[in-house]
Amino acid sequence: MLSRAEVSNRLSGFPRFEDMSLSLPYAPRMPRGMVRETREVVAIARTFNDEVARPRALELDRRTHEDPDYMPLDLVELANRWGFYTMWIPRIFGGRGYNMPSMSYFAEEVGSACLGIMNVIGVHYLGVAGVVASANTRLAKRILGEVVRGEKTGNPCLIALATTEPGAGTDVEEVELVDKGRVACHARRVRGGYVVNGTKVFISMGHVSTWTVLYAYEDLKRPSETTVGLMVKTGTKGFSFGSHENKMGQRVCPASVLVFDDCFIPDDQVLFSADMVRKFTKKPIREVAQRYIDYVVGATRPGVCAFGVGAARGAFEIALRHASTTTMNGTLLINHEWVQSMLAEMYKNVTLGRLAYTEANYANSHRGLYKILQLKPVYYYLRLMPQAYFDKVIAPMLEKDYSTRLMGKLSYDWARPEDQRCCSGWASLAKVAGTDLGVRNCQMAIELMGQTGLRQDAGVEKMLRDIKLLQIYEGTNQLNRLNMFKCLIAPEIPQARVFEEDR
Amino acid sequence: MLSSFKSEWKPFEDLARSFAAKELAGKAEEHDRYPFGEFFHDVLDKACEVGFLGIMLPGDLGGTGGSVGTLCTVLAALCRVDSSPGGIIFTNALAQELLLAADARDIAGEIFGKAPSAGEFLIAFPSYSNPAHQDNLPEYRRSGRGYSLTGPVDLLVLGGLARRAIIPARSGPKRQCSFFLIDLDHKGVSKSEPVFTLGMHACPAVDVRLDGVRARLIGEEGKGEEYFDRVLPAMHVVAAAMNAGIMRGSLDEALAYARERFQGGREIIRWSEVSMLLAGMAVKADVADMCVTQACQALEQGDAGWSSRCAAAALHIHEIACEAVTDGIQVLGGNGYMKDYGQEKRFRDARQVQALLGSVPARKLDLIRKVAGV
Ligand SMILES: Cc1cc2nc3c(=O)[nH]c(=O)nc-3n(C[C@H](O)[C@H](O)[C@H](O)COP(=O)(O)OP(=O)(O)OC[C@H]3O[C@@H](n4cnc5c(N)ncnc54)[C@H](O)[C@@H]3O)c2cc1C
Repeated sequence: MLSRAEVSNRLSGFPRFEDMSLSLPYAPRMPRGMVRETREVVAIARTFNDEVARPRALELDRRTHEDPDYMPLDLVELANRWGFYTMWIPRIFGGRGYNMPSMSYFAEEVGSACLGIMNVIGVHYLGVAGVVASANTRLAKRILGEVVRGEKTGNPCLIALATTEPGAGTDVEEVELVDKGRVACHARRVRGGYVVNGTKVFISMGHVSTWTVLYAYEDLKRPSETTVGLMVKTGTKGFSFGSHENKMGQRVCPASVLVFDDCFIPDDQVLFSADMVRKFTKKPIREVAQRYIDYVVGATRPGVCAFGVGAARGAFEIALRHASTTTMNGTLLINHEWVQSMLAEMYKNVTLGRLAYTEANYANSHRGLYKILQLKPVYYYLRLMPQAYFDKVIAPMLEKDYSTRLMGKLSYDWARPEDQRCCSGWASLAKVAGTDLGVRNCQMAIELMGQTGLRQDAGVEKMLRDIKLLQIYEGTNQLNRLNMFKCLIAPEIPQARVFEEDR
Repeated sequence: MLSSFKSEWKPFEDLARSFAAKELAGKAEEHDRYPFGEFFHDVLDKACEVGFLGIMLPGDLGGTGGSVGTLCTVLAALCRVDSSPGGIIFTNALAQELLLAADARDIAGEIFGKAPSAGEFLIAFPSYSNPAHQDNLPEYRRSGRGYSLTGPVDLLVLGGLARRAIIPARSGPKRQCSFFLIDLDHKGVSKSEPVFTLGMHACPAVDVRLDGVRARLIGEEGKGEEYFDRVLPAMHVVAAAMNAGIMRGSLDEALAYARERFQGGREIIRWSEVSMLLAGMAVKADVADMCVTQACQALEQGDAGWSSRCAAAALHIHEIACEAVTDGIQVLGGNGYMKDYGQEKRFRDARQVQALLGSVPARKLDLIRKVAGV
């Protein structure tokens, strides 16, 4: 038999065993409470689907076609009442503190009924991730605190996240690209804060959010070294909304144009900047900025995978119902062999997609953004201590500089680059897999259902319109493939260069 | 593009292109708002005026007397810009071909010989289904000297616009299928609002319920499936030509965008990943054109054995079209998903066109049964 050293040696070759099979080492380390919690989350989602999402999905889609100015205020209010906007905010910030991976299961469930409605709930957590990953605990406490209060008072407080600009979409997803790109959202340092000028586009839920996590650049020629993250409140002078987009699908969820015209943001709303980063790390800001992006998308892209799996499942379920009730040549479709095979293929796609987000979540849980929350003692501590304890004892600590410094050190200084690559690579892998499989299932369902599949009232054509977006946002699947290459493959090949192709 | 394979088609292609440039370009999104916006009656009237509603119909019956190649050329050119008029022309041509296949020239002459307007010229038909695979067709009964129909017809294309419809129906223990002409103004016809579908919104369909509707038999009783089979090869190719046009349009827009759009400091066409997407689309668009042309030529020469090849070509073209239009969106990134550009509509339309003439799996099974002779 092999010695321990030999085993380690063998397993560190490409693909590294550590990176290729995450559930094997990590599943046993998972706190058992997470299972119970996740079961509860799924049950809540199913209840919501029966009471809200399914009955309303098609009617709302129709309404947005009749009235392109529709805004989902009623849905937001409902979701707020159901507690969805605080469900995955950690308890130290006053939220309900459900474990992060459970959100993927939730997204799959609600996504199987309506991706648009799921986005109305889910995009907020892109904003939450943007806030939390900054390590700025003081601001996180303030903003997330407002979200929690918004739930208690019935005035929803949502967070949007704005990176994309008219001239820079893919470019702002990658520090390698951003310096070559044409970013135009400028943050000028002034006494007591920043003055922002520029435009952001395609910002999901922009119009109906209270806060926006805005990324701008102090020097438009060196954006990767001068990125600033700012919290901008809707209603601030100099911040206005342009139109919202006329989209193919997910029409209940607006994608907004945000316009900044000499918009002043005070220092206490600066989430992330070179000055702040220097307080906790000596690493180059460019590297920290990339890691920041990776933390956010590393956590949210598996969620997008789950959205895709949701659509894959929704399409499967509709096709299954159709096949069970429709005959062809006198025989129920479900009893034709080709139909059984197609349905099995669709079921397979759903399951593979789910495995992909599960693995990516294991990466984040043990090597990524929320790994601290998933340590057993921390997990139980956060679950079991009374909320008053967090409000009285922990909350004041979050205000302190040392708290931000500690978070910064944990997240940026002490995190291993190979962990970051693993999380980001798996997130891209899951995102591409889940969304491609989702599109595939919607297409298969439409094919299987023939002319019925074309009808909006049959549900599946809307799913196809809805899911197509998932191959585009959070980085196109093309960009995500390149990121996978960069994170999971290129490190093994010294001569590999990414985003530097010869013309 | 098809005319580059056969110069006789050139005048028709030129006509269709100038029609598209004048009547459709820049308005596809507006036209597509139907049923939530206005229907483009003016465009339809003009299409009727230039003869697009009767391209394959013989001249003595009020048509243009063109070939299947002519129709394909025109539809590919129109669908490159907007596929909804293509869907209308397709459905009308299908109805006309059925009349001819059933040798019902008398009926055709009555309808088209003196049809002054598009409304009169249009015949509604459930063009997303093959009656052979439909278990729930309306029932027909003899009544007096004619027939009467009762039952549902789903997705009757042009049902809200046309005065007449051709309807497949079944009867008797053998459930044999026959085609009938009905008047949609008959009191026994109840129509739904336009059905909101995935694509081709301006080629609308309605659900219809027939209740003892007076009907005129087309051709002989019980020969419905045979007539349909007879028109299928050509109509498969015509539908494929529509998707060839849609693909071409998607490639046009993707190429133009990729040349202009900068990311990472260069036009995105200079990233080889984008070039690969474009190359895949170009391959598909060219292969589709070649398939359509070859099939048209074979059909025009009356080559034997081409009927299953036509079905095969169509299945293949639809499939690659649906792939190409997905990439067509992808090249435009977020903009591809927005109605300000044409790609999202093509993505929807290509699927809708694929569904013409019955479900894909059913068509595949038909094909292999014919090829294998089982
Ligand atoms: C409905 C919707 C909601 C959205 N919500 C948000 C949001 O809430 N917040 C936010 O910040 N953004 C949001 N986005 C923006 C989204 O993330 C971007 O659309 C996406 O990143 C792509 O950018 P782009 O649209 O500018 O496309 P581009 O970057 O212009 O890409 C066009 C094409 O070029 C390719 N390409 C570009 N660069 C390269 C390269 N270097 N190598 C190879 N190929 C390349 C792309 O893959 C794509 O195929 C949303 C978008 C949509 C459509």
